[in-house]
Order: sequence, then C-alpha cells, then structure tokens
Amino acid sequence: MSERPFFVGYLPAPGPLRTFLLSMCVLLIAGLAGAGFLMGAAQDDPGPGAFRFDYGRQTVTGVVEMTPYPVIHVVKGNDRIKPGDSFMMTAGGKSGVDGRAMPLNGQLAQVSGIVLERGDLYMMQVRGGRNGLQAAEGDAPEIMAEPQGRWQLTGEICDGKCLAGAMRPGRGLAHKACANLCLLGDVPPIFVSSQPVLGEEFLLVTGPDGTRLPREAYDFVAQYITAEGELTRRGDLLVWEIDIDTIELSE
Amino acid sequence: MSVKYTPVQWNPNKWIYDGVMLAAVAAFLWVFLYVTPDALDHERAVDPQIHNARAFGACAFMMLTVILCIGPAARLDKRFLPLLYNRRHFGVMTTFVAITHSGYILNWYFNFSSSDKYVGLLYANSSFGQLAGFPFEIFGIFALICLMILAATSHDFWLKFLTPPVWKRLHYLIYAAYFSVAAHISFGILQDQQNHVFTVMFMAGAAAVILLHLAAWWSERNDPVSKDGAWVKVGPASSFREGFAKIKRLANGDRVAIFLMEGQLSAIANACAHQNGPLGEGKIIDCLVTCPWHGFQYDVRSGRSPAPFTEMVPTYRLRLVGDMVEVHPDANPPGTYVDPLPLPPVATAPIPKGEPA
Repeated sequence: MSERPFFVGYLPAPGPLRTFLLSMCVLLIAGLAGAGFLMGAAQDDPGPGAFRFDYGRQTVTGVVEMTPYPVIHVVKGNDRIKPGDSFMMTAGGKSGVDGRAMPLNGQLAQVSGIVLERGDLYMMQVRGGRNGLQAAEGDAPEIMAEPQGRWQLTGEICDGKCLAGAMRPGRGLAHKACANLCLLGDVPPIFVSSQPVLGEEFLLVTGPDGTRLPREAYDFVAQYITAEGELTRRGDLLVWEIDIDTIELSE
Repeated sequence: MSVKYTPVQWNPNKWIYDGVMLAAVAAFLWVFLYVTPDALDHERAVDPQIHNARAFGACAFMMLTVILCIGPAARLDKRFLPLLYNRRHFGVMTTFVAITHSGYILNWYFNFSSSDKYVGLLYANSSFGQLAGFPFEIFGIFALICLMILAATSHDFWLKFLTPPVWKRLHYLIYAAYFSVAAHISFGILQDQQNHVFTVMFMAGAAAVILLHLAAWWSERNDPVSKDGAWVKVGPASSFREGFAKIKRLANGDRVAIFLMEGQLSAIANACAHQNGPLGEGKIIDCLVTCPWHGFQYDVRSGRSPAPFTEMVPTYRLRLVGDMVEVHPDANPPGTYVDPLPLPPVATAPIPKGEPA
C-alpha cells in the first residue's frame, strides 16, 4: 500500500499534494480560458443585416398595399430609396403596423422611419403614430400583381425584421421562438430561398389567396423546408403564397 | 464541522478554492467576450446580447462538466479529493452564471413583444410534436430550476434539515440538470452551427463525464457482496494498516469502514453524516476518523463526533475467526459504543515511517 498525502480542508495542504493541486489550478484556469476562445471563435457569421441608423430617418411616399402584410410601393423617394422600390413595414419591437396600414390600403401614404437592410432585403421600422404613417395627397397608381406561376422552393421561413438586421443572427433554430413571437406580433414573414428565385433570395411569404401565414406553418419556422405555392410579383417584391399541405422538412 | 450555522465557514483553503474557481470563470468569460470578437472575421458582429448569452451559457456548461468530473476523478485517484472540498461553491457559481445566461436570452429573444417575456418563453414555440424545431428552451428552464434548487439547498442547514440521505438524493438532481443542459444544447445551438468546433467540445465534455463515471463504476464493481444476514469476511488480520480502513460492501448495499487504531479494530458506517463522504477513504488523525471530503471527525469506537459536535454514524460488531476478521451486517444505532477488537501484535501490517502509531 503506497503512502498518500491526506488532505483535510481546514488544515494546510500536505506538501506532496501541493504541486499536484497547483498544476490542477493552472490547468483549470488555462483550460477554461482555452475553451472560451475555441467556443467564442467558433461562432458563425450572423450575416450583414442591420438597422441603418447611419442612413438617418428615411421619409418616402408610396402606395400602401396589404398583401396581407403591409408593403409600401414607393412613388416619391429620396436619394437612397428610389421610386419603384417596394419594402415591408413594421413597428418598433415585435409588432407590425397592420392597424395603421389597413385604413390606407391602396392609398398614397407618407412613411417615415429607420431602414433595416440585408442585401436586397429592405424593411422599414416606421415611427410611432401619424408621424410614421399618414395619408398623402395625390392619386395612388394601381399596383399590378404579376402572377409567376406555381413554384416549389427550398429554404427557411423567418421573421422579416430580425432577418433584416434587428437581431444578429436573426434566423436559425436558436432564434425560432423569437421569430414566432415576431410573426404573432404581425411582423411580415420572409422566405429565404436556397436558390435565387427570379433574381431574388428573399420573398414575402403568405398563406394562399392573400391570407396571412397559417399558424400551422409556425411549426416549420426556422427550419430548412421544401414547399410549393403560387408566386406573384407586386412592385419589385416577390410574394409566395405557400401551400401548407406541401411543406416537407429538407435535409 | 460546526455547532452553529454560518453562511460560510471560511478558511484559507476555501479562499484559495473560490479564488481559483472565479479566476477560471473570469478567464473563460473574458476571452469569450473580449478576445474572440477580434478573431471572428464577420462583416457585422453578433449582437452583444446574444454574444453575452452564448458566453455565459457555454461557461455554465463547462462549469457543470468540470463539477461532474470531479466526483469520479476523486474515486479513481485520491489526489483529486481536495477538489471536492468546496465543490458546492462551484455549483452555486454555476447557477449564477446560468441565471445570467437566461437573463440575456429572456431580455433579448423574448422581450419587445406585446406579451410578457416569461409567458412568451412558454408559448412562443410550441412544436412539441417534432424533434427538429423542438422547443429546446424547456430543457434549459428545467436545468435552471434544478440548479436553483441545488444552490438554494446547498447550505449545511438544509443538509441537517433534510437529513443526509434525502439531501444526497435531492442533489442527484445535478445529473438531471446536466442531461437537460445537454438536450438544451443538442436541440438548440448544435442544430444551427455551421462551424462544428463547439459541437466537438460539447461532445468531448459530455464524453469525459460519462467515461469517468463508467470508469469509477468499473473500478468498484468487483467489490464482492456479502450474503444477507451472516457474518461477513473482511480480510486477514494482517492486511489491516494502522490508521487506515478497509471498506466492505454489505448485501444491503451499505459499506462498512473497518479501521485499525492502536492495534485494535473498530467498524463504523462508511458514509459520513455530513454529506455521505467515504469515511473509509479517510484517515485517523488525533485518534479520530477524518472524512476525506470535508474533514468531519468521529471516534472510531462510538461513531460520535467529539464534543461539542453532534454528528453520529452507525457502528458495527467485529469478530476474529482464526486470522479472518468478520463484521456483522446489522448496524448498531448511530453513536453506539462497541469495544474494539484487539488483534494479535504480530498480525498488523508494518507501520510506515512517519505514520502515527
């Protein structure tokens, strides 16, 4: 039986054990520091989305369209937002602007707020009250819906605001509950296609026949799915009416 | 050992233990939070709130892994026993780190909506019927509740109030917490990662916990079990060593520690009255059996802690048949005095140099 130093907590550590304990202390500190580096440096790129506060507050005039999610088709832009651009609108936090946009459906309106930008994806977080969204003088041009046929697409349903840069990362399963909360709050949902669709990576996704995204689809939010649906171009925005019965998880 | 409850009975070793632990946690968090952003080649940085949440969550996992490795490591190599000494503080610190992680998550992912963030946490993702997209937050909630229960009951007051067996069983919740954390990670961040370094580290940590526990179990599995009710052979008289014990497992699963002190044998329960520490792996110091975990002491003949302390453990009867020492499996009530069994002078093992006789 070999002799072993015996440690008693309230007594000084035996001499032969001190070297071992000291090495354990160093190993613990260095090991956790190393683990912190490896884990921290392994984080994936969250993408380029961001609130563009550096652009300043943007104010444009356009036609409001409920798709059923509120979209503005710009008629009178500024140096950053050009006439013909279409972008989705949202309010502060996890809230949409449906209540304010609905009375203006099909009408000319002035929109003011901060832009969220991720590549080709734009969204405007409009200011509160009438300062953010108000009727404008003038005749509203008719926005033509151009059917593009039925498409089978693969990709991920996200909430448009977080994806566009309200959160980084703003997609993926770790973000699923947050995305669901946004969608429940009427933030427009976006489908991120794995392949460009008519030149677009991001599509506004709705239910069939101009309805909102069905609640059944929320189970598939933030997952890689394949589904079919009718595709329509509205202004320069593609709207995909997903057929909930065709949704399948993809590898 | 104490006759009154104080928040923490500090001593130099506890200060050192906590200092090292805090330094390790601070090193992890500092490197994760302030060093790695420079190493990441991202066009735009991860949101600070998410970065912080990840740092504290990963830190809590690493801390839990270390905590769960200490126990089996100490079973396999007694030099790790000092790491057990103040492990409760490690656990309490882990709880605070985990709470910080949950705070960042709640105040970011579940904030800014019209519903209460705690309500949102429970209903935002209700895809319980599927594996992919399963609401992994629920595992984190369960693990956090377990950790909070463990931290809240970690003080010796609760040990005394609940009794050591109940307290010990309650604190097996640490395993439920760890499995739940593993599920939380597996169904959450691991499903999202493109860079698999974290996955590898997670699997390595979990594998270390599992393998160390299996190794500790394997090292003790060949301990023969006695027959129920009969006197149990412990070993030849000559196999005992002055100041130390042999441990015998009984048919009912209990273990008996048979100590040799001053040429006489005495048997007490192997489980310390404090935290069920292995008394048989301790040593006799100043004529008292000293627990290797926290230094609780007992008179080996009566199983009683010296006054003014009140802890007691059961004692057992011994007999000598020829050269064979036997123990009776029926335990005496805790604190029952039993006359030591004298051994023939030639029967004891040589006393090592420098060892008290």
